[in-house]
Amino acid sequence: MNRQETLKSLASLLESFIERVVHLKEERLSVSEGIRRLDDIADKASQGLDMTDQAGDWFAEHNRWLTDSSLSPPDVSRINRILQQFKTNLRLAGEASLSEDKIHREIDRWSKTGEKLDRKLILRRGPEARAVAGEEQEDTIARFEHCLERLTAIFKDTCGGKKHILSVADDLLKAARLQSNKDALILSAFVIYYLKQNGYKVEPYVKKLREAEAVIGEGISGGQ
Amino acid sequence: MANRGERAYLAALMALKQKDYRAAQEHFERAAPFYGDDKEFNLCFETTRLLNAVRTELAGPASTDKIDIEEVFSDG
Repeated sequence: MNRQETLKSLASLLESFIERVVHLKEERLSVSEGIRRLDDIADKASQGLDMTDQAGDWFAEHNRWLTDSSLSPPDVSRINRILQQFKTNLRLAGEASLSEDKIHREIDRWSKTGEKLDRKLILRRGPEARAVAGEEQEDTIARFEHCLERLTAIFKDTCGGKKHILSVADDLLKAARLQSNKDALILSAFVIYYLKQNGYKVEPYVKKLREAEAVIGEGISGGQ
Repeated sequence: MANRGERAYLAALMALKQKDYRAAQEHFERAAPFYGDDKEFNLCFETTRLLNAVRTELAGPASTDKIDIEEVFSDG
């Protein structure tokens, strides 16, 4: 490959990278551009220009933002701030035209809906799943798959020399309680549920399971 | 009001979308003082700058690194 070809190849690689970056930012770009336009409208209104029609167009164009998930809470606060500023520049009752009245109502509607969006519930993963600094986080499916692999290995170890699955369940419960072994606890619960589904009386095992669960629970809360 | 840096960054991204890399670089340059250590901003800015440099290089004289000029005297 000569120098010219190398440069062409590099240019094409960089263009493709930029294209992908822009594609990833497409939605953010559209939101930022929309907010910037609203900002311009409010700015011109503050200079005394009549921007009622432009504001009406803006509301019509961005109405879907109130129902889809395009806006983040900071976007909502920002739009509300701009709208409140814009509202102060609209002429007040008495002199207000029909279209100005409509804009007033739209601003109120956006403010109310915006408050609801702002209070959106955000679910966070529990302490167990929090990433340790510097470590890459596995997804939940991969984590569960690894857990199953560990459980299979524990099951094979525990089965050695036993003649009945109830003896395996008993040993697993002991390991869970005495060694605070969470994998043994999960596996014993699995075995107990299997036994229950196959008509065994499992109440004594369920009792032991709860005891082991409490021991492990204390260990976790004591360690925090 | 959106600050000048934010507006310039947005304009740069819009220019990138339209594949106007020169304009994008100018907008990035205006936004740069506002974005200091922002990794994402700097990555976009530097990639655009590199792309423009490569394109300038490609647009220059053909593939030779240097041009040798030789004088030839037909009668020795």
